[in-house]
Amino acid sequence: MSVAPEAIRSLFDGYQCHPTAWDELFASPDCPHDHCEPLVSQQGELTISEFQRLRGNADLVFINQGITFSVYADRRGVEKIFPFDLIPRPVAASEWKAMETGLHQRIQALNLFLHDVYHDQRILKEGIIPTALVLESKAYRPEMIGFEPPGRQYLHVVGSDLVRDAKGQFLVLEDNGRTPSGVSYVLENRVVMKKLFPKLFQRFRVRRVEDYPQRLCEALSSVAPLTAGDSPCVVLLSPGPYNSAYFEHSFLARHMGIELVLGPDLFVHDDRVFLKTTRGPRRVDVIYRRLDDDFLDPEVFRPDSLLGVPGLMRAYRAGNVTLANAVGTGVADDKAIYPFVEDMIRFYLSEEPILGNVPTYICARPDERAYVLEHLEELVVKAVNESGGYGMLMGPSSTAAQRAEFHAKIEADPRNYIAQPIVTLSTCPTWTEEGMAPRHVDLRPYVVSGTSSWVLPGGLTRTALVKGSLVVNSSQGGGSKDTWVMEDGR
Amino acid sequence: MISRVAEHCLWMSRYLERTENTARTLEVNETLLLDFDVPVEQQWRPLLIISGIHDMPGDVDGETVQNYLTWEPSNPSSIVSSIAAARENARIIREVISADMWERINYYHLWIQSAEARDLYLRSRTEFYCQIKRINQLIHGITEGTMSHGESWDFYLLGKYLERASQTTRILDVKYHILLPKPELIGTPIDIAHWMAILTSCSGYEPFHKKRLFGDLGVSVADFLILDPLFPRSVRYCLARAQRAIHAISGRPIMNPGNEVEHAIDSLVRWLNLVKIDDFVRSGLHEELTAIVNQIHKIGDLIHRTYFDVQVGGPVEASETEMPSTSMSEEDEAPSQGQTQSQASQEYQSVS
Repeated sequence: MSVAPEAIRSLFDGYQCHPTAWDELFASPDCPHDHCEPLVSQQGELTISEFQRLRGNADLVFINQGITFSVYADRRGVEKIFPFDLIPRPVAASEWKAMETGLHQRIQALNLFLHDVYHDQRILKEGIIPTALVLESKAYRPEMIGFEPPGRQYLHVVGSDLVRDAKGQFLVLEDNGRTPSGVSYVLENRVVMKKLFPKLFQRFRVRRVEDYPQRLCEALSSVAPLTAGDSPCVVLLSPGPYNSAYFEHSFLARHMGIELVLGPDLFVHDDRVFLKTTRGPRRVDVIYRRLDDDFLDPEVFRPDSLLGVPGLMRAYRAGNVTLANAVGTGVADDKAIYPFVEDMIRFYLSEEPILGNVPTYICARPDERAYVLEHLEELVVKAVNESGGYGMLMGPSSTAAQRAEFHAKIEADPRNYIAQPIVTLSTCPTWTEEGMAPRHVDLRPYVVSGTSSWVLPGGLTRTALVKGSLVVNSSQGGGSKDTWVMEDGR
Repeated sequence: MISRVAEHCLWMSRYLERTENTARTLEVNETLLLDFDVPVEQQWRPLLIISGIHDMPGDVDGETVQNYLTWEPSNPSSIVSSIAAARENARIIREVISADMWERINYYHLWIQSAEARDLYLRSRTEFYCQIKRINQLIHGITEGTMSHGESWDFYLLGKYLERASQTTRILDVKYHILLPKPELIGTPIDIAHWMAILTSCSGYEPFHKKRLFGDLGVSVADFLILDPLFPRSVRYCLARAQRAIHAISGRPIMNPGNEVEHAIDSLVRWLNLVKIDDFVRSGLHEELTAIVNQIHKIGDLIHRTYFDVQVGGPVEASETEMPSTSMSEEDEAPSQGQTQSQASQEYQSVS
């Protein structure tokens, strides 16, 4: 097949779908899904050269606005942009509706679970989840026992990671109920897409994502302590400018119209939290904290933390300030608890789960352990207390020695391991060095909850940029895409 | 506003102003003594003194000094460092400054790191320094037109005018280090050229001549740069503007001081309103300029204690603790290469 020169070749010419994965744009080669048809035909009119020019423009917008990831070795440290791919990832209205309902259901159950494990522990007493698994979790905070967070809300912001398997079914890969990040990229990606492709947005009915900061601010205000009055003082607590997500913290504070504060800007007096201002102390009612539990309060957690606020837990427990997310939510997104979320939904809501989990083998169970040990070559094994890919075995690409090592580890401490079959993540056409090619993607939708819950119609689509790679993490060189949730009728 | 944010705002502004001043003096010096046979070191050493540098490695010649004051990342007062520091302060308070300000500051930070900026530097020194001067002027314009004129604007102005007052004072004082000690040179062409260079470094050449001052040239220039009530880079004008900003922060009327910062700035401005240049000449220009710089430092220190270092129970009145360094030469001990930012003197505020 001869390849036309870039100046006249159009964007999707010669695009080859992945042999087995679900493609987010094409139902079969040259035939887009219904809801993607107008997108493919319109973006497909672009020549490669035009597309390249637009890519350059997009990168410049990110660079000039300083929308960057930074690794600050010194103050002139290297700053990188989060690679952004200009082909959006559409989600049909009907699919979204189901996902939205599924997310509401899941988060409602997780929230009830958190209240339960810090109060009556019914789910443990009835043997649905092994007691030790919960109480011995590193993320379980005994300080939270018996404490009632305002509005009974623990999970103000959740960003669960969803994947789509080869059959086109969405599954939850993990829940993030501590301090999920990435939403600023959802909003900035949309701004850039609107700048570059205004005509696409005129023709399509893509649901707006721009309301997120306002919604978050309303949700946080709705769970302020009763003493706060009508206009509670909400602040965002950041670990500081050297944190890689500082851009996002600043972005959210700016768009919510609230103050961005660092730990040393706050102090606790008489179990109340105050902000140090040029006109003296000012009372703080709600803290949207982007700081892990461990660093929040050196009086209670890590004593060496300089990022937190001494006495914050006292103020929290006294009901004088709301923390979002609540302390101790990590027990709900622990990898060892994950396999039980479907059971949680049945237990608390008497409903069948709408969004499924990726099938998971719990090595603590003898029969499942036996299966895992026999099939290490086909499975992903994860240590439950580790994250960031540490303590993980990718079966198909592992060596015999690595498998032997994990065999021994699992037998020595079965409770610490789970295993899952490899999911072939769906792919989306993505611009790469070899032209337009399928790359694996996932999806992180954001759910905001105060006294009620709201799902952002969109989300962060992360994409692997290396051929065949199933790793979409930005730290592994992954990129992102704009996620288009279609209005009804598409 | 949050104390820490106010502090970043003030320092962002100071670093921007410093960038402009450094570019201006470098540009002037490049062409200053073209017509005179002056030892190279005598031409360039004063620039180091203005920036408080006593330990620059290498020879004190034009290329080395320009390079050190423009590009050296370990020199906290180099242009590249000042822009990086301004930009870092801006990044930290991105939620307070306007989007337009941030975009421009970020743009210039990226530009100064680019090959394009290097090329311009190599091709035309004058064009390069003019471009740098424009950065601060442009950003000031954007700030005036896009940032809310509340407390953050007051801290921005305060930083700008304190920095400018201190720079004008230092530029003027440099004359002491090069020529005043040699009375036989007074009134010679080279003496006149120096005074003109000092005026030009402060953008005061034309405004000075419009005043048509007669008598001793040096005294007239000093009079103009220190005491002129209207020239926007004179010490008196800058401090009057700083005073206005300080009182805007508290909302208290000028000359009705309510805290130590206001006391200090009010008395400094009152003194500048009354004093005559002849008094300065009598007691020694260098000594008086040193006193002014020390006062500016003390005000900076009081600002820190009053607004930035808030304690339980509200902004505390400063107690009798040690004052910052009190002589210009001590203060001039700017951080050398080995020092970290946190060890730096107040002049070189860290952004951490």
